[in-house]
Amino acid sequence: MRKLPLRDLLASQGATFRERYGVEVPVSVSDLKKEYGLIRDAVGITDFSFMQKYRVSGDAGVDLLDRLFAGNVAKIRFYRVLHTFLADDQGRLVADAYIANNDEDFIVLCESIADDADLKKLFSFDGQPKTEEAGTAGIDDLTESHVVIGIDGYHAWKVAKDLFGADVLGLPYLSVESYPFEDGSVLLFRAGKTSEFGYLVMAPKEAGPKLMQALLQSAQQHGGGLCGSQIHNELRLEGRFFNIFAEGARVNDPLPLGLQWMIDFDKEAFLGSQAILARREKGYDQKIIGIKADAAVPELKIGDALFYEGQPVASIQATCFSHTLNAHVGLALFPVDMAYAGLRFELGQAGGPAVETISMPPIIPKSLSVKLDEQ
Amino acid sequence: MDSVMQSTIDKRTAVINPIKAELIKRLNLPYQPEDLHEDISLFGAGLGLDSLDALEVVLTVEHCFGIKIPDNNVSILRSINTLADYVLEQKDRRESEDAKTPAA
Repeated sequence: MRKLPLRDLLASQGATFRERYGVEVPVSVSDLKKEYGLIRDAVGITDFSFMQKYRVSGDAGVDLLDRLFAGNVAKIRFYRVLHTFLADDQGRLVADAYIANNDEDFIVLCESIADDADLKKLFSFDGQPKTEEAGTAGIDDLTESHVVIGIDGYHAWKVAKDLFGADVLGLPYLSVESYPFEDGSVLLFRAGKTSEFGYLVMAPKEAGPKLMQALLQSAQQHGGGLCGSQIHNELRLEGRFFNIFAEGARVNDPLPLGLQWMIDFDKEAFLGSQAILARREKGYDQKIIGIKADAAVPELKIGDALFYEGQPVASIQATCFSHTLNAHVGLALFPVDMAYAGLRFELGQAGGPAVETISMPPIIPKSLSVKLDEQ
Repeated sequence: MDSVMQSTIDKRTAVINPIKAELIKRLNLPYQPEDLHEDISLFGAGLGLDSLDALEVVLTVEHCFGIKIPDNNVSILRSINTLADYVLEQKDRRESEDAKTPAA
């Protein structure tokens, strides 16, 4: 099992850990409601070093990435980031990825439901470079040599500004920039999946402890603190960001999940494209949409059925409690002809508590009210 | 499917379908209507539209339904579903106002 470079530092702050796809991940540091409040109202610092990270260089590298990922890597502009996915040859999801065009090279950050070894095999076509691209692309695996730390929240921009200067306020969403830190440099991604402001900082692991301490010190000055990864599952759902570890792992097919926006359908091919295009051509009969149950319902459970006219018609794929709405929210897989907001179903059995389908995202984050160019 | 559910679905699709078709046309989006999940974020993550595209989204709603989206109401522009919610709300309001107006 891979242990993260900042593990001991996080453990000293009270973090608990669990294994996920061969990596020991920090789950939480305090109670989830507190961590929720840190990010929605202030700023949370989270160790995302569990991500698999690669540096890919050269024209052959671009070609390789383009043949693997669903989005169009060749069209990523300098210093911009593409959010896309990696599928297997059956078109089943393997990784949710940010790919940054960092001028000299491309940086790939993956959240995957494959362990490090299996993902690496996909990257090199099962270990055997079967194409010219795979044979000559320069691929450096940075997974163990680098840390990635997230800055998320209403005040996240203040922490990024404290550490890297006012220049960060001009970074558009899904962009990347290099900044000096200590004696070296770090890469700052403007990205995030909480619907508040978000950044990811990637640095060599040797700089990790100092970077984490500097981020935490700044965050504390702005009312923030350390978070685990579990709260991000809840924030992603509440903000309707795709989560490979929740609905992604369970449904596994990009089409019912509504991930068509991550695909360049005009591209010649990518890993799994034949299978995905065949399913698209045939038409899919299920689709995932948002649901809500009021706080009086004890719990929405993964796998629970939603009933209509005495029959189970949908199944719950992801859930969380929204502290903003004081209600349970979730995602459920419905037949396409029922996958609309504004309908009522019964939870667990005919006559069970009412659950309604809703428009997502169901909350309005505080960050929407902030104009960074006026700060 | 009972008539209440069918009617809710019909009302919603009557708003969603024209929005999708018009957005694809105006923004030259490389998708078919069924590729656009109604909850996809229109700006930032998701379709990644920018501030210039925002005007086209506003014009889409105005063109399709004759409904103006107020300035600075970014929460309405977040997804196709949030646009549809706003349109349905405005349509309901119009209908109830029309019902209250005595016939000439």
